[in-house]
Amino acid sequence: MVGCLVLTAPLEVFGRGVYRQARRAAAAVIPVALVFIAWDLLAIVGDVWSYNPDFVTGVGIGVIPVEELMFFVVIPLCGLLTYSAVSTILAWLSRRRADRRVSR
Amino acid sequence: MTGLGYTLPAVVAVLIVIAWELRVLRTGLFRQPAYWISMAIVFGFQILVDGWLTKLSAPIVLYNEHHSTGIRFPWDIPVEDFLFGFAMVTAVLLLWVRRGDRERESA
Repeated sequence: MVGCLVLTAPLEVFGRGVYRQARRAAAAVIPVALVFIAWDLLAIVGDVWSYNPDFVTGVGIGVIPVEELMFFVVIPLCGLLTYSAVSTILAWLSRRRADRRVSR
Repeated sequence: MTGLGYTLPAVVAVLIVIAWELRVLRTGLFRQPAYWISMAIVFGFQILVDGWLTKLSAPIVLYNEHHSTGIRFPWDIPVEDFLFGFAMVTAVLLLWVRRGDRERESA
């Protein structure tokens, strides 16, 4: 999880970033996280999946491990950073192509 | 296997997200190449991370096979996980893009 954050952190330099628009990021991540945490809770209670006690800290809120709660914030943030970076690069490429056409 | 606990909600989640964009939000996200490239990158990393979380030799997440198709690919990843991931990441990107559109309109 930390690896995902470290790996995607440099993507913040592209365009307007994600962490620099913290409110917009929170408004996108939090509502979706709440829905998926509810799903997660139902799945744990309904014995659809569970967590190997050997690999989680045992700390959590109710039956949901803290690692799982982090997952619902970290993965969407990584997704946003990826999308933000890809959009910026694509926009930059198309601008460069347009510039070249003009200079010819 | 009944698939009711995981397969069905995973399929429904994907359909809800797609319907939400096409019928309600209409951000045009699905027409953007940047979205599909990003999803390809996200799926690539999901295989690495999820593969490690679900590997049957030392699984971190334990699935009750009664609730899924039992199909695990690649490695030991339940295929339902990809539907779950698609729905979650797409929903977040939709809210992000919608907010960006609104900011641009008000600017």
